[in-house]
Amino acid sequence: MSKAASNETPGVRQSMAWIHGWLGLLAGWILFAMFLTGTASYFRPEITRWMQPEIDLHPVTAATAADTAVAHLQKVAPTAEQWFITLPDARTTATRIFIRERPNPDPNAKPAPRRPERRLDPATGEEVTARDTRGGEHFYRFHFQLQIPHPWGRWLAGLCAMAMLAAIISGVITHKRIFVDFFTLRWSKGQRSWLDAHNVSAVIALPFHAMITYTGLITLVAMYMPWPIQANYKDPATFETAVFGAEPDAEASGRLAALTPVAPLIAKASEEWAGGRPATMVVRNPNDATATVTLYQSAKDRLNARGRSIVFSGVDGRRLSASPPPDPAAETSGVMLGLHMGSFAGPVLRLTYFLLGLAGTAMVGTGLMLWTVKRKRPGAAPFFGIRLAERLNVGAIACLPAGMAAFLLANRLLPVTLPARGDVEVSIMFWTWFGLAALACVRPIRRAWTETLAIAAVAFLALPLVNALTTDRGLIRSVVSGDWLFVAFDLAMLATGALLGFGAWRAAQISSRSARKRRAAERPVNPLREAADAH
Amino acid sequence: MKGKMAGSSIANGRMAARAFTAIVGGYAAAAGCVSLLARIAPVDRAEATIWAMTLSFLVYAGLILWAFHETRLARVAGTIWGLAFGSVGCLWLLGPML
Repeated sequence: MSKAASNETPGVRQSMAWIHGWLGLLAGWILFAMFLTGTASYFRPEITRWMQPEIDLHPVTAATAADTAVAHLQKVAPTAEQWFITLPDARTTATRIFIRERPNPDPNAKPAPRRPERRLDPATGEEVTARDTRGGEHFYRFHFQLQIPHPWGRWLAGLCAMAMLAAIISGVITHKRIFVDFFTLRWSKGQRSWLDAHNVSAVIALPFHAMITYTGLITLVAMYMPWPIQANYKDPATFETAVFGAEPDAEASGRLAALTPVAPLIAKASEEWAGGRPATMVVRNPNDATATVTLYQSAKDRLNARGRSIVFSGVDGRRLSASPPPDPAAETSGVMLGLHMGSFAGPVLRLTYFLLGLAGTAMVGTGLMLWTVKRKRPGAAPFFGIRLAERLNVGAIACLPAGMAAFLLANRLLPVTLPARGDVEVSIMFWTWFGLAALACVRPIRRAWTETLAIAAVAFLALPLVNALTTDRGLIRSVVSGDWLFVAFDLAMLATGALLGFGAWRAAQISSRSARKRRAAERPVNPLREAADAH
Repeated sequence: MKGKMAGSSIANGRMAARAFTAIVGGYAAAAGCVSLLARIAPVDRAEATIWAMTLSFLVYAGLILWAFHETRLARVAGTIWGLAFGSVGCLWLLGPML
């Protein structure tokens, strides 16, 4: 074959390497942020509990929690249209309630203000008040909404996830020696080391990366790819009913009827689900003759995250209907959802999820580093694209962790009564993140790495100290009283700080080494001295 | 798509057309093809619909990668836009089943 012909059709490996590099770069900074905040979200309830140290509740059974919540709702909203009750479990200790008011029949009347979600002590049904914060929910929401107005954030996240999927496939095709690279990591060899680190972090957890990317797309499939539904159904509601069962939608009759006790319904549902627990209870038209109670199964004890549901009569507790058992496709997509969220995972598997998520973050980060290191020519001034990519790397890899630490620090340092406190915490995260990134742009690149990584390290290392000074749940107290959530959180912050500190130290070393090299190169060459050195 | 021509305005225009075809055309083609399959597959409606939705991203990713692998832009554009308009046209003629 002539050379010209082979130029025209590059091998699959070359073309895949090319697209892998560009997809990875263009989506990489957002993907890094999605991976890191998504990984943190595996501890979403724990982060929320840490961010509200005033709340220290003790778990009770689902039946007790449901009874106390219903008693509370009977007091505050006996005639509401719907009550939504999210029952607590070992990780989320408070009961959450949300009330949907009956719409005013007068069309000219102003709609009633939407009541915010409230939390209750599951043992007593008393409302729990604590500092206003978004808690772990903030990292979770950010990882697929990117703090961009709906629906654009979700679309951008979806586009980046698609780039990730295509990058994973093209990366695997490019790769010749997947097994060997599993064992190859050469430190301190510049570009070679970044490539090795990228390969190791990618290959070790490849099934996880592929799974988490694909299932991430599946979580929002109804938004990203609704067209097969449109192709088959005139009304999408028909599809939903076929898959998930019909939601009760009876209008209130106006005839009063006492609400049936809910604890026996929970026992019945649990029996039908072979021991499965309910996660959510929806009461429609409470205290009316048409009342219904719907129980949704928890995703915590099954792989399929789309739990089954059962509808009971709210008057006599009869079982009215249930969601159909899922067919293979519905089961598959439900399991994909479950695999992404990892709700079923116990402590050890959850930690594994977390570490694999960090490996994914490292894969994206090292890939970004590799892109710039590979294109730099020694001695030549880097062109604009490289300088931009370098700064964005600092902005994502070093400044985002600093912003996350600032979010947690703000939670402890802002006055508890500050108005819109939860929103202020969030703004502090973004001001810190983007402010540091802007600052890093005016510093020499090596210094920028050292400085921003050091700031992030200090911020994380300060967290256990600030926590000990501002709450009564400091590290020593937690160890003594066996408050393991707070112990683990402090240790995780110290470990994160140490890791970032190590990064800062390495960046400083490389920076001083390259400065020495530069000075050596600038020195006029003395042939006699060179000759003497050689001997 | 790379090499000597890179940087010239013709090459830039061709790359923009290719990227647009891959990202927008690829989405339309993937959505159209899986929806058509879901519409004509002789299995349960809900099952066909969910399988099509679940597998759509794999089809889309494949189309994106192929759009950048195949050097002849005309072939890329013809195939992807052909699939997109062809499948959507068929769906329009068929109409929803239920």
